[in-house]
Amino acid sequence: MPVVRIPTPLRPQAAGQDKVEASGATVGEVLADLGRQHPAIQERLFDGAEIRRFVNIYVNNEDVRYLEDLETPVAEKDEVSIIPAVAGG
Amino acid sequence: MSAALTPDPLDRYSRQVRFPALGEEGQRALMNSRVTLCGCGALGTVLANHLARAGVGHLRIIDRDFIETHNLQRQILFDEQDVADNLPKAEAAARKLRRINSTIEIEPVVTDIDHTNALALMGDADLILDGTDNFETRYLINDAAVKLGKPWIFGGVIGSEGQTMTILPGETPCLRCVIETAPPPGMTPTCETAGVLGPAVAIIASFEAVEAIKVLAGKKEALNRDLIMVDIWDWTFRQLKISGLFGKVDCPCCKHRKFEWLEGEMGSHTTALCGRNAVQVASRRPEPLQFPEMAERLKGVGEVRHNAFMLRFATEGYEFTVFPDGRAIIKGTNDIAKAKTLYSQFVGA
Repeated sequence: MPVVRIPTPLRPQAAGQDKVEASGATVGEVLADLGRQHPAIQERLFDGAEIRRFVNIYVNNEDVRYLEDLETPVAEKDEVSIIPAVAGG
Repeated sequence: MSAALTPDPLDRYSRQVRFPALGEEGQRALMNSRVTLCGCGALGTVLANHLARAGVGHLRIIDRDFIETHNLQRQILFDEQDVADNLPKAEAAARKLRRINSTIEIEPVVTDIDHTNALALMGDADLILDGTDNFETRYLINDAAVKLGKPWIFGGVIGSEGQTMTILPGETPCLRCVIETAPPPGMTPTCETAGVLGPAVAIIASFEAVEAIKVLAGKKEALNRDLIMVDIWDWTFRQLKISGLFGKVDCPCCKHRKFEWLEGEMGSHTTALCGRNAVQVASRRPEPLQFPEMAERLKGVGEVRHNAFMLRFATEGYEFTVFPDGRAIIKGTNDIAKAKTLYSQFVGA
């Protein structure tokens, strides 16, 4: 099953886990399954059906915006990462 | 007279000149280059330290803030005496760096970078460096860099993790291509709420510094084209591929050349300083404030002291730090409206 890597600021919404297994054949399906398992994450990631503009999604190391966005295919061993912007410094 | 008695200016850099990929030619390019460093806190002090020692010929260091004791954990150019002397960060950094390398020019600028001064502060630079702690300033830097066609290097750190990317306008995705908008306040941790480790900052700033050296020495082929992410607590290092975003994203900045931050359509100049229970009030003045007169006026209502760089004034549980350009940081509130009222009451409209 694909694995979703949860960034530090979202871990409290995912029972403290840094990785969550989620099923689906596309990025959209995998994130929807993540949302079913951890509803609090759903709201942080999505504004309606759209991914919030300050959240970036990668499949392995590729940004889905130059692939097929939420339609990007995800294979069994793929890793989906939620990458937030890091503000401090 | 023997010419051999005159020290070769390259001698002090011999250990990096011997590094073959840089060499003497690269060193001479560094010595003839100009850098604008935006922000001189945790990232900025590490960046300034590396670049001054490496021999960057002209270093402009811009920072709006003064030094507090809790900065010393990670802001490597400052010490307890600087806190006691109430020095602004840019000035304290310049004093320290001049003792490190007297052969380069260091230009401290104590101001808040905003849309009115960004182009002037960056226009003559060969490279712009991000030592800031907020996305508002970063989007402004991005606008200015893209408009001017100058390379800049983004860095951000929180907790034990950080990100960096190198932006070459016209060749690589810009900051807004990669991070379209900043998370709204409260949706993202800051160093004040989530903490930050000194080594994490030092690593990201060091990545920025080596990229800076490559840009200035003309070694473009060696530059990073990815979004680098590091977490030093769980030992992860990732190179996320972003080059495919260039031209693909409908970027207002680098595709449509709409510079919303530079045109002042975005961004505020009065901002709550997150997690610090403080608000910065910006009120630009054509003439610098006269601190001795202000101190005279304020001494009946509270405790006041000043030096050439700032005036500090405490009353009613609030602490004001006022800079000559009219800007003030007011501690004791997060309420912007309240801060503006306090400013007009005690500093003046």
